[in-house]
Amino acid sequence: MQFELVNVEKVYQASEESKVFGAKDVNLRISESDFMALVGPSGSGKTTILNLIAGLILPTKGTLRHGGGDITALSLEERTKHRLDYMGFIFQDYQLLPILTAAENVEFPLQLKGFSQSEIRDRVKWALAQVGLETMGQRFPKQLSGGQQQRVSIARAIAGKPQLILADEPTANLDSKTAQEIIELFKKLNQDYKLTFVFSTHDQRLIDQVKTVHYVKDGQISDTRTHHA
Amino acid sequence: MKAFIFLLKFSYRNLWRSPKRTAIMLLSLAIGTGFIIWDLNFANSGSKEVMKEFLAQYAGEYHVTHLDYYSDKNKKEFDNFQTISDDEIADKRILATSTRRVTAPVFVSGEKKTLGVLLTGIEPEREKALTSLAQAVTTGRFLAPEAQREIILGKRLARRIDVKIGDEVAVIGQALDGSVANDLMTVVGLLDFGGGDLEESLAFTQLASAQEFLAMSSDSYHQRIDFDMKDDTTPVLPGLAVTKWEEILPEIGISVQFVDNFTWIVSFIIVIVISLGLSNTLMITFLEREQEFQTLNIIGAKTSWVATALMIEVFMLGSVAVIVGSGLGHIATTLCYYFPIDLQLFTGGQPIIMGGLSIQPLVRFYPVISYYWKVPLLIYFFLGLTMIYPLIRVIRRSKNAI
Repeated sequence: MQFELVNVEKVYQASEESKVFGAKDVNLRISESDFMALVGPSGSGKTTILNLIAGLILPTKGTLRHGGGDITALSLEERTKHRLDYMGFIFQDYQLLPILTAAENVEFPLQLKGFSQSEIRDRVKWALAQVGLETMGQRFPKQLSGGQQQRVSIARAIAGKPQLILADEPTANLDSKTAQEIIELFKKLNQDYKLTFVFSTHDQRLIDQVKTVHYVKDGQISDTRTHHA
Repeated sequence: MKAFIFLLKFSYRNLWRSPKRTAIMLLSLAIGTGFIIWDLNFANSGSKEVMKEFLAQYAGEYHVTHLDYYSDKNKKEFDNFQTISDDEIADKRILATSTRRVTAPVFVSGEKKTLGVLLTGIEPEREKALTSLAQAVTTGRFLAPEAQREIILGKRLARRIDVKIGDEVAVIGQALDGSVANDLMTVVGLLDFGGGDLEESLAFTQLASAQEFLAMSSDSYHQRIDFDMKDDTTPVLPGLAVTKWEEILPEIGISVQFVDNFTWIVSFIIVIVISLGLSNTLMITFLEREQEFQTLNIIGAKTSWVATALMIEVFMLGSVAVIVGSGLGHIATTLCYYFPIDLQLFTGGQPIIMGGLSIQPLVRFYPVISYYWKVPLLIYFFLGLTMIYPLIRVIRRSKNAI
């Protein structure tokens, strides 16, 4: 099912005179098993576009669509449920819940979705195995390295097998070797399970690996390049 | 169900992410709960002990009289003097725990002065067994059961009419048949009520002397005063009036009620003060986790889920606190049962004057079961109020973007 941004504009207005375009005339189509990056310097608007795709903010103009449905028409709680049902998130600073173990962090969105206990157990096991942490499920985040925490974050995002995974600067806090491992993991998940990834990044190593790169400048997609494997 | 258990686990773990802070909140709530329970039990037991001692001295738990004995509904006037007899009171339990009295307003005349007082004819042995009236005789002696025409007076009364032990006083009144009644009685003892007003307005003589003075038959009397303090129920006696002490002495009942209500007001204030402190701590705790709430919202937790988790967290904290607090309160109350508190600790060693009588109660605490659910309810209520504002802040701020 496609995610689509059609002529989307997002204006941040502090006063009548000062208007800031977070996004301007953005048209973006995300198809199944896409592996794409939004690239641009800080403040270029790539995170705003990510937020718009997630329905975390609403556009001032334009439409957000998913499978033909209009996400902008949904209420706040409906958009939250929409994210839970169709999306996974990976954050720059991992955003794991410190009071839950790695396995419980992965379990969290599955509990919200109301899966059965056996299905939750299977999915958590599968997700942790995918990120190579099957033996570390009982550890708390503070007992894990940065790279391991990001792996847990990835496991949490993929456990529900969502249609779209949004990752905001996922390698920014990692050392070079770990970042490379994480990028390889993303690639593997995309290739093996056809998981769809949209990254917001300026990590060249990640940019080099994605299939599609959208360059963002002043809230607009200024250029799009496609890599052919 | 499993999702709810997960929610409970999530809330429980959150509670202990900052153990010191949680322990301080828990302790302040628990100590507050415990203190309120102890304080309420203190006020309740204190009032009861004070009342018991007061009633045991003289007034009694309830009075059995003729239906028309009291001529006004406030039980303050009794100028009809209708009598009753034991035959009319079939209840053996009442006869076993009560004593007969005859009352009459009279003039007592000494060397220098004549004053109006209430003369009460009593059964000396029964009064000794049931009341502490005999102990209030600090000069001279109590009435001898077999003697006649003996009188004991309040100390202030004796001083005012200038009589001492062994002196004779003239007693003048009105007999039941309307004739003038007069007699000479010998002062055998002086009553010390700690300087209370009753010292000036009471005089006691043997029941037989009073009956003779008032031209009554020996089997009739005005009141049977019951001293069964353990039984709170008021019996129903057909054809007779049974009047509880609260009706006879409403001002005393009101002051006891005032103490109870005031203790509840103090309890409310304590809970409000604790709640304000808690509210601030909860606010800090919640705001520290603001980013976490945003993350929860982003990955799909509805605001209602987050709010429920926080409410469960506070409910758990409150539940542990009220359980521990109730335990503490109960232990303190039980200790004060075995080691009663002398109320004179709070009066600088002076006796308490109540209703014209001096009392020196030792307060033994009796736990009141209803406090063990009323106080936790009060705590939960204010805990609920306490978290409203922090919760609104969290809900408002947890809808941000990445």
